[in-house]
Amino acid sequence: MLLRNRLIGFCMNQPRWIFIFVLLLAALAALQIPNIQIDTDPENMLSHEQPDRMFHDEVKKRFKLYDSIVVGAVNDRDENGIYNPESLRDLHRLSAAIQQMEGVVRQDLMSLDTVDNITQEGPGTIRFAWMMKQAPVTQAQADQVRAAVNRLPLLQNTLVSGDGQAAAIYVPIVAKSESYRLSQEIDAVIASLGSENRYYMAGLPVAEDTFGVEMFVQMAISAPLAGLMIFVLMWYFFRSFLLITAPMLVAMATVIITMGLLIGQGYTVHIMSSMIPIFLMPIAVVDSVHILSEFADRYKPGTDPRQALREVLGHLFTPMLYTSITSAAGFASLAFTPIPPVQIFGLHVAAGIFLAFFLTFILVPAYIVSLSPQRMARLQDHRIVDEDSGALGRWLSAAGRFSLARSKLLLLGLIAIGSLSVWGIAQIQINDNPLRWFKEDHRLRIADQVMNNHFSGTYDAFLVLEEQGVTTAKPRLIRQLQAASVAADAGFRQQLDSHIAAAEADSFQVFADNLVAAFDDAGFSASDADARRWLALLNMTEQAQAEAKYFLRPDALSYVEGLQAYLDQSADVGKTNSLVTLLKTVYRELNGGAEPAYRLPDTQAAAAQTILSFQSSHRPDDLWHMVTPDYSSTALWLQLRSGDNQDMSRVIAQVDSYFRDNPLPQGVSARWAGLSYINVVWQDEMVKGMLNSLLSAFVMVLVMMVVLFRSLPLGLLSMLPLTVTILFIYGLIGWVGKDYDMPIAVLSALTLGLSVDFAIHFLERTRAIYRRQGDWQQTVAEVCRGPARAISRNAIVVAIGFTPLLLAPLVPYITVGFFLAAIMAVSALVTLVLLPAVMNHLSDKKRLFSCPDSRPEEKQNV
Amino acid sequence: MFKPSLMLSALLFASGGAQASELQDVNKIVQQANLAAYYAADDGRAEARMLIEDRDGGRQSRQFTILRRDRAEGGDQDFLVAFSRPADVRNTVFMVAKHVAADDDRWLYLPGLDLVKRISAGDKRTSFMGSHYFYEDVSGRNLNDDEHKLLSSEGRFYQVLNTPKDPATVEFSRYQVWIDKANMLPVKIEYQDETGSVYRRVEVLDISEVQGIPTVTRSRVSDLRSGGSTTMEFRFQKYNIGLDDAVFSERSLRKLPRQWLKRPAS
Repeated sequence: MLLRNRLIGFCMNQPRWIFIFVLLLAALAALQIPNIQIDTDPENMLSHEQPDRMFHDEVKKRFKLYDSIVVGAVNDRDENGIYNPESLRDLHRLSAAIQQMEGVVRQDLMSLDTVDNITQEGPGTIRFAWMMKQAPVTQAQADQVRAAVNRLPLLQNTLVSGDGQAAAIYVPIVAKSESYRLSQEIDAVIASLGSENRYYMAGLPVAEDTFGVEMFVQMAISAPLAGLMIFVLMWYFFRSFLLITAPMLVAMATVIITMGLLIGQGYTVHIMSSMIPIFLMPIAVVDSVHILSEFADRYKPGTDPRQALREVLGHLFTPMLYTSITSAAGFASLAFTPIPPVQIFGLHVAAGIFLAFFLTFILVPAYIVSLSPQRMARLQDHRIVDEDSGALGRWLSAAGRFSLARSKLLLLGLIAIGSLSVWGIAQIQINDNPLRWFKEDHRLRIADQVMNNHFSGTYDAFLVLEEQGVTTAKPRLIRQLQAASVAADAGFRQQLDSHIAAAEADSFQVFADNLVAAFDDAGFSASDADARRWLALLNMTEQAQAEAKYFLRPDALSYVEGLQAYLDQSADVGKTNSLVTLLKTVYRELNGGAEPAYRLPDTQAAAAQTILSFQSSHRPDDLWHMVTPDYSSTALWLQLRSGDNQDMSRVIAQVDSYFRDNPLPQGVSARWAGLSYINVVWQDEMVKGMLNSLLSAFVMVLVMMVVLFRSLPLGLLSMLPLTVTILFIYGLIGWVGKDYDMPIAVLSALTLGLSVDFAIHFLERTRAIYRRQGDWQQTVAEVCRGPARAISRNAIVVAIGFTPLLLAPLVPYITVGFFLAAIMAVSALVTLVLLPAVMNHLSDKKRLFSCPDSRPEEKQNV
Repeated sequence: MFKPSLMLSALLFASGGAQASELQDVNKIVQQANLAAYYAADDGRAEARMLIEDRDGGRQSRQFTILRRDRAEGGDQDFLVAFSRPADVRNTVFMVAKHVAADDDRWLYLPGLDLVKRISAGDKRTSFMGSHYFYEDVSGRNLNDDEHKLLSSEGRFYQVLNTPKDPATVEFSRYQVWIDKANMLPVKIEYQDETGSVYRRVEVLDISEVQGIPTVTRSRVSDLRSGGSTTMEFRFQKYNIGLDDAVFSERSLRKLPRQWLKRPAS
C-alpha cells in the first residue's frame, strides 16, 4: 500500500514523466505492429507436436500430397453439359494457364487435359494416351471424352461430375498461404476467358486463406469502430469530452501496447487474437470512468485536487484490483485449453486487463492534475447526476421492488429456466466448419454448395493403413541369411556379413535391393558351390522382399476392397479412391475392358505387373499418392460433400464399427489424416479444454470472491448471476440448435471473468448499505438507486462496445459480438433482479452481511 | 534426333566412327549422334539397373536385360527388354520393332497375368516402367520429327536445338542437345516447356569403351519439376553377339531367349 501511495504521489507530482513514459511504451509497441503475421490455418489450432497433426504432416509427405484449390467449371445450359467443345476448350485454356502459375505443383495438377486415358484399341491392343491433350473441336470428340471418363472410376465424379455438367481442376499448391493470391490469379484468367461456363473455387485452403485476408480488413474496420462506439456511448452518459478523454487514452494505450507485445514476441495473429482490441477497449475504459465520476463528486473547486484524488484512488484500488483479477482470471484460464491460438489470446487479454488497470492508476491522476483550474471547474459541471426520474432510474427502482415482491415467483422462474437450460445444454450439437465462418451469400459458400452438389465432395480425408511387419523385416532377414550360411566356410560368411553391412539402407526394400545386387555379383564370380549358395541367399532375400510388399498381397488388397466398398455405401462419403480402384481399372483394361474383369488380380505378381502397366503412363507417380513405394502403407482418399466436423465424426464412427466387425489383419493399423479429420481433432481438444478452462476459472473466481468478501455465502452468491447466465446462454444455444463451434466455445470462460464484476459491485454495496441501514427493504431500494445504475451503465458500455462485431462480414465475429452483448445484458439483469430475490429468502441477513463487526471505512464504489 | 536415349540406347552402343573433324551441317551432326547413340555395332546386349528416386529420397529399383539388333544402319531396329527384378515382375518383357518410316510395333508380356498385349503406336512419351525415362528414350526419337538447328560448335560440344514439327504430340516445346565432338554421343539433353524453362534433363554420367566403342555406362534423367530422377547403369555390355530374327519374334515374349539373356562369360 505504501508503494501504491508513493506511485500515486509520483503520478500527481510528475505528470509529464507519466505521459512520456506511456507514450514511449506505446510508441515502442506500435513499432512492432507492422510485423504483423496473420494466421488463419486451422491446423495451427493444434500445436506442431500434437500427434494427429504430426501424423497428418507425415502422411502428406509419405504420399506426396499437397493442399489443393478445387476449381469447378459448370455448364448446366448446354444439353451435353460440360462435354461440349466450347466448354472443354475454355476448361483446357484455364488449366493451361493455371499450370504456369507460380506456387502450383504442376506435375500433380489434375484436369481433363493432364490425366491419362487407358483404352482398348482393337483386340489385344491397349492404348495409353492423354485424356484430352488438345481441346475437342467437334461434339463427337467431346462425346469421346465423356465416354472415356465414364469408364474410369478414378476420374468419374472426381474430375467430371456424375451428371456431366461440371468439371474440376485440382490445383495442388506448394503452400496454403498462397491460396488467396492464386485464387485471385485464377479469377483473372477466368474473367479473360469470356466463357459460357460458370466457375467456382472450393477447398479448405482457399477458404482459410481468404478468411485471413478478410479478417485483416475486418480488424481494420471493427476495432476503430468499437472505439468510436464506446466514445459515443460515454458521450451520451457523461456529455463531457474532458471527462472521456482520459478513458479513451487508457483504452488506446492498452490496445496498442498489448498488440505490440503479442506481435513483438513473434506470435501470429489468429482469429481469436484479432479480437483482442475489441475485448480490451470496453474493459479498459470502465475503471477510469469510475475514478473520474467519483472524483467529480468529491472535488471541491478551488481546492487541491490531489487530496480528493488520493481519497478516490485509495478506496477504489481494492475493488478495481479484484475486478481486474477476476476478469483476467477468466481470460487467463483459456491457457488450460490445449489450443495454442486460444492460449495466446487468453493470456494477452489477461495481460491487457492488468495493463489497463495499471495505466488507469497512473494515467488518470496525471491527467487530472494536468488540467487547468478552469477545466477542473468544468469537470465539476459535468459530474454525473444520478437522477431518479430518468428512465433508467425509474426502471431500476421498479425492478428492485419487483424482485422483492415477487421473489418466490422469481425463484421458481430461476429453477425453471435453470432446468430448461440444462436440458438445452444436453441438446448442444458440437460442430464446426471453417467454411461456415463466411456468411451464407459469400461466394465461397456458394461455390461450396454448387461444387458439392455436382461432385462427390471437395473435402478430403485419408484413411491410412499401415503394416508393421516391415519394421522388423530387416533384422529378420539378416538372421535368416546368417542361419542359412552356418554350413559355409568362414570366408563365405565373412563376405556375407560385409555385404550386409554395405547394403545398410533406411528402407527394407532398398536394403534388400542392394543385397540382391551384391549376391548376384558375388555368385557370378564365385565357384560353382558358392554360386549355388549365393543364389539361395538371393532367392531368400527376394522372397522376404516380396512378402514385405504387404499391400500387393491378394489378402491385403481384398481387405482394402471390403473396407472401400463399405465406405462407398455410406451416405456421408461422396466417393473413395484407392490402390484397389486403380488396380481393378487397369486390370480390366489389360483383360479386354469388359466389366467382369473389373476385379483385383489373383496373385501378387499379377498385381505388381498390373501396376507396372499403369506406370507406363504419363503420370506414373500418381500411384504414390495411394501406396508407399515399399507397399507397406496405403491411403484411401475419401471425398466428403460436407466440411462439417459432425459428418467427419460420423464417418470415423462408421469405420470404427467396420473394424469391430471386420478386424484389421494382424499387424495392420489404421489411422486418419486429412484436413477434415484435423478439424475434428482440434474441435475435440477445444471442447474438452474449454470445460477445463471454465471449471478452473470458476474455482479461481469463487476462491477470490470468498477471500474478497471474507464470507463463503457471499462468495457463492456472487457466482450465482454468472452461473445462471452461462447456463442460460448455452441452454439457448442448445434450444435454437446453433452449433457449438470455436467462437461459442471461447465465450464461456471469458464471460465468467467479465460478468462477475457486476456481482462484486452489487454485493459489496449491498453489504455496506445494509450495515449502515439495517433494514433490508430500504437497502434494496437504495442499492437500486445508486450502484444498480452504475452497474447497468457499465453493462451497457461493455455490451454495446462489442456490437460493432455484428457488422462484421465474417461469422465468428458476429457470433462473439452477439453472444457477448447478450451475456452482458443477461448477467446484469440477473444480478439486479435475481440476487435481491434470492437474498430475500435468506432469513438471517445480519449474519450474511456479518454486521457485528462492520467496518465502516470499507466503502465500495461502483 | 537421337536424343534421349542417351541412355538406354546409348546404352549399349556407340558408334565407332566419330571423327574429330568439325561438322557444319546440322543434319549430319544429328545423324551421326543418332548412330553413335543407338546403332553401335550390328547388335548388342546389356544388363541395366534402374534406380528410381523421388524428391524425398524414396527409391525403387528395376533390373532388366536389353537386346538390340539393327536391321539397317540408321534404320529399323528391334529391341527386347526382359525384366529380372524385382521378383514380382520377373520375366515381364517389353519388345519394340522400331520403324523409321512407319509407327513402331510394341508388345508387352505380363507373365503374372499370362497376357501378351500390343501397345498402341500412340504416344511414346510415357514413362518407361515407372521410371523418369520415356519409351521414346529407349528406342530413340525419330530424327524426322524435329527441326534441328546448330546453336554452337564452339569448344567440346555441338549444341543443337530441336523443335518438334508437330507440337501437339509432345509435352515439350523444344529441347537442346549437347553432342560430344570426340565420340558424337549426345551427353546432355534439356527439355524446355512453353515458357522456355528447362523442366527435364537427360545426362550421361559415364562412358567406357566396349570392344573399342565408346559406350554409355551410366546416365540419368531428372524431372526438375517433381525433383525425382532415374539413374540407369549398364553392365556386361557386349556387341556383335550374333542375334537373329527369332530372338525378336512374338514367341520370345512367352519363351524368353535365355541363351542371349544370360550374362556372357567374362
